[in-house]
Amino acid sequence: MDLKSARKDLGAGAVFVGFGLAFASTASTYEVGSGLRMGPGYFPLVLGGLLVLLGLAIAAKAFISPETGELGPVPWRAAVLLVAAILFFGFAIRGLGVVPTLFVSVLLAALAGPKMRPLPALVIATVLTAMSVGIFIYALQLPLPLLGPWVG
Amino acid sequence: MDFFSNLQLGFETALTPVNLLFCLIGVALGTAVGVLPGIGPTATMAMLLPITFGFDPVTSLIMLAGIYYGAQYGGSTTAILINLPGESSAAVTALDGHAMAKKGLAGKALAIAALGSFFAGTVGTLFVALFATPISRVALEFGPAEYFSLVVVGLVASIALASGSTLKALATIVLGLLLGTVGQDGTSGVPRFTFGQFELYEGLNFVSLAVGLFGVAEILRNLERGISRDVVVKKVEKLWLTREDFRRIRMPVLRGTGLGAALGVLPGAGHVLASFVSYSVEKRVSKHPEEFGKGAMAGVAGPESANNAAAQTAFIPLLTLGLPANSIMALLVGALIIQGITPGPGVITDEPELFWGLIVSFWIGNLFLVILNLPLIGLWVKMLKIPYRWLFPAIIAFATIGTYSIGLNNYFVYAIAFFGILGYVLIKLGCEPAPLLLGFILGPLLEEYLRRSLIISRGDATVFLTRPLSAALLAVAALALLVAVLPSVRRKREVVFEEEDG
Amino acid sequence: MSLNHLAEASGRPRPARRSLSRYRAASALAAAAFALAACGGGTDGGTDTAADGGEDAAAGYPEQDITFVVPFSAGGPTDTVTRLIAEPMAAELGASIIVQNVEGAGGTIAAGQVAGAEADGYTVLMHHIGMSTAPALYANLPYEPLEDFKPVGLVTEVPMTIIARKDFEPETLEELVTYLKANADDVTLANAGVGAASQLCGLLLQEAVGVKLTEVPYKGTGPALTDLVGGQVDLMCDQTTNTTGQIKGDEVKAYAVTTPERVESLPDLPTTEEAGLPELQVGVWHGLYVPADTPDAVVEKLTAALQKALEDDNVVSQLAELGAAPSSQEDATPEAHREQLASQIELWAPIIKDAGVVVQ
Repeated sequence: MDLKSARKDLGAGAVFVGFGLAFASTASTYEVGSGLRMGPGYFPLVLGGLLVLLGLAIAAKAFISPETGELGPVPWRAAVLLVAAILFFGFAIRGLGVVPTLFVSVLLAALAGPKMRPLPALVIATVLTAMSVGIFIYALQLPLPLLGPWVG
Repeated sequence: MDFFSNLQLGFETALTPVNLLFCLIGVALGTAVGVLPGIGPTATMAMLLPITFGFDPVTSLIMLAGIYYGAQYGGSTTAILINLPGESSAAVTALDGHAMAKKGLAGKALAIAALGSFFAGTVGTLFVALFATPISRVALEFGPAEYFSLVVVGLVASIALASGSTLKALATIVLGLLLGTVGQDGTSGVPRFTFGQFELYEGLNFVSLAVGLFGVAEILRNLERGISRDVVVKKVEKLWLTREDFRRIRMPVLRGTGLGAALGVLPGAGHVLASFVSYSVEKRVSKHPEEFGKGAMAGVAGPESANNAAAQTAFIPLLTLGLPANSIMALLVGALIIQGITPGPGVITDEPELFWGLIVSFWIGNLFLVILNLPLIGLWVKMLKIPYRWLFPAIIAFATIGTYSIGLNNYFVYAIAFFGILGYVLIKLGCEPAPLLLGFILGPLLEEYLRRSLIISRGDATVFLTRPLSAALLAVAALALLVAVLPSVRRKREVVFEEEDG
Repeated sequence: MSLNHLAEASGRPRPARRSLSRYRAASALAAAAFALAACGGGTDGGTDTAADGGEDAAAGYPEQDITFVVPFSAGGPTDTVTRLIAEPMAAELGASIIVQNVEGAGGTIAAGQVAGAEADGYTVLMHHIGMSTAPALYANLPYEPLEDFKPVGLVTEVPMTIIARKDFEPETLEELVTYLKANADDVTLANAGVGAASQLCGLLLQEAVGVKLTEVPYKGTGPALTDLVGGQVDLMCDQTTNTTGQIKGDEVKAYAVTTPERVESLPDLPTTEEAGLPELQVGVWHGLYVPADTPDAVVEKLTAALQKALEDDNVVSQLAELGAAPSSQEDATPEAHREQLASQIELWAPIIKDAGVVVQ
């Protein structure tokens, strides 16, 4: 068997086993109870165990009939920028208010575009921020402050 | 001829200029918020509650209800165009709807959604008018054990959402079930997997998951090649449906409508299950199941019809018994109370013009929606011509602010990033995220009904088999599971044999 | 899923946890503008930016929108009460009032948020009886009800009703007590979740009768009531706001109302005292709070507006429809409110402790 061609199955198995273990181990710290008198830990513990088994089965399948196909390229730069854009929004919206937060987030997101240069990204950020404010704040009347307490 | 005099009363009430106007405002607003990710009908209705105080009770309810079913129409638009389902039911539409859009068939997908919805909405409304009272009695027969078995059926159905490996689909469902347990446990009050954060006590939000797993993961996939795909959709073909298309969607629409009308009546799980189950049914009966996930018309027509039929019949428990089937209906209860009407079984007899006026307005609203939405299709399709370097930052902007506005909770926004990455990784590893979403929706229901059944039966697990309705549902689930697993076993055997031969 | 004040429990409604609504002084005009703005995309500004706060701000209070935070979902009883008084209060204060629903963790998320908010009078919390039970229910409460807030005044007290499925054997409260004593193991008691008013009332009922029933928690009153009407569970105790329609429609059997006086909208329903269970007295009282450091002058203005609102004809008649009455002018004061809160905290702590319901 060619390990390279089985990467998809092995990777998926690992992801599921990982999540299964994380949930099951945390769940075991809650009151588990019995099958007929379930505590809060019972359901996630059983499911976590099941997920580990399914993950192992998927990984085992990699050795019998692996799902072939290339993983393909990963847009690392775009992934980092998009995640940064989203996290920044969540982090700053309360403090900075809608306008500065959206502007920075959209700028970060726009920079994730292929061959994007700073100037067009600034244009995109400005236009989209204005549009979002128009739709969400003025048309839909969401009572979010345009500028937050951090910027007075 | 009681029914007709009632219907006449309904038309008289619904056709007053004021009620027509607010019906139109309601459905238009509903479509708008349905299109925008995040802001859902519940938030919109809550925002508009105060202005309805000055209205007649009928007018107020007509408008608020219009927002609700209008949003069901709008929700499918973004799901089809940019793979961004704003509502749980639209997640199914995204599967084949977006695949159609990628093939240049966005116009057709939108037309199917609009026409299927109109048909289903009309039938659903008729269903409410004719059978509301007897049907609500049947719904009451559903106890926790029956709901548990129904959710099991839904989970089995969700395996069909994946077009790849059954094993991987099962694992993603279980992962979804687990993610659904995050938050305060409804039975004991114990917070689970919250890392001590009060913001997570309410659990993860559906919109965060949908926007991350579908929207953000899709953006990452599009950015993979590093080249500017200025138009995601290369060519936009004919917008309108051919005679052949109509023939192909006829049965899926009919089946979807029936399923949706029936399941919509059930409080809690019904509305969500309708579109998932319809998709599963269509895939099973189709002569070309391999087309599903790659742009099958039936995969759009069935679930969209189911979803809209359910949106109408979900009013039955509220209108006949004063029992709200979901949080949106609960909001309408509040609206009624503020208007000085006590929701309860008395409403039909005490307030006939409210009951019948509202029902007739459903149909008028659906008519408005189809008139409003069909011409918009051309406009929506043009949206796909927006250069991608503009489109995806716009999706990020709308998704973040929309999701934040649901709960003013920054954890909802952080969760988008987490699920965006998770969704992308899963797709890369050959697992489709749609079953995860269904698991996430059904997980809490599954656990809740299971534990409640056992509490009420005092630990007697045979209730699921001794209650006939529950046993029948479990039999359906077992049968569906068998059908789902058998072909993959057979296929695997064939592969093994081929290898031996070769 | 879920219903009415779903969150009075710990429920988990998928959509919309917090939502915002705006009440204006000149509501009719604004309503039209809002409707147009909302559907057409007009420009109805109205979004104020940050406050400057400050001590002398009290004199000019209010200079901007006031936010009323409701710890339960839109459409539920607490939300309804808030919206009823928000309109006349907005008119009295001459400012817009935005109702914001911040659900979750039995109302503690909202309370925690207001406790930490700017103490300028622009963030006001509406909370019910749950304010007094949270310290006993939640092990790690991030605030102290008596120390981190200034009470503004009591708003109303919603009576509760003891109801059962239609074909439940006992016909009167007296028969119910006998029946419960004989069949405690077989009776199921529904509630709307941890910390919900229905759970508290259920605890009191069990204590008054001296039995331990099988409690069946739901995510909110709606599903609980649905199962009671459907005959899946036996017994429940909930606010008249939720139960009046079902009682009038003869979908459930009602035994008694838990307040000293009968309820106007249900004149035939005896009180627990009349029906032979005088120990069972409970009402879902509501009150307004501001963060502890809010200037007294601001609190006075809010109290005055509340008192005025409670005399509003519309408020009085709508509350009556819900089976409730506005608090008296003496009760709608910080002093009476503080006293009520303190005595209720003391009342509930041992009951909750005995029942063993503690959320870690």
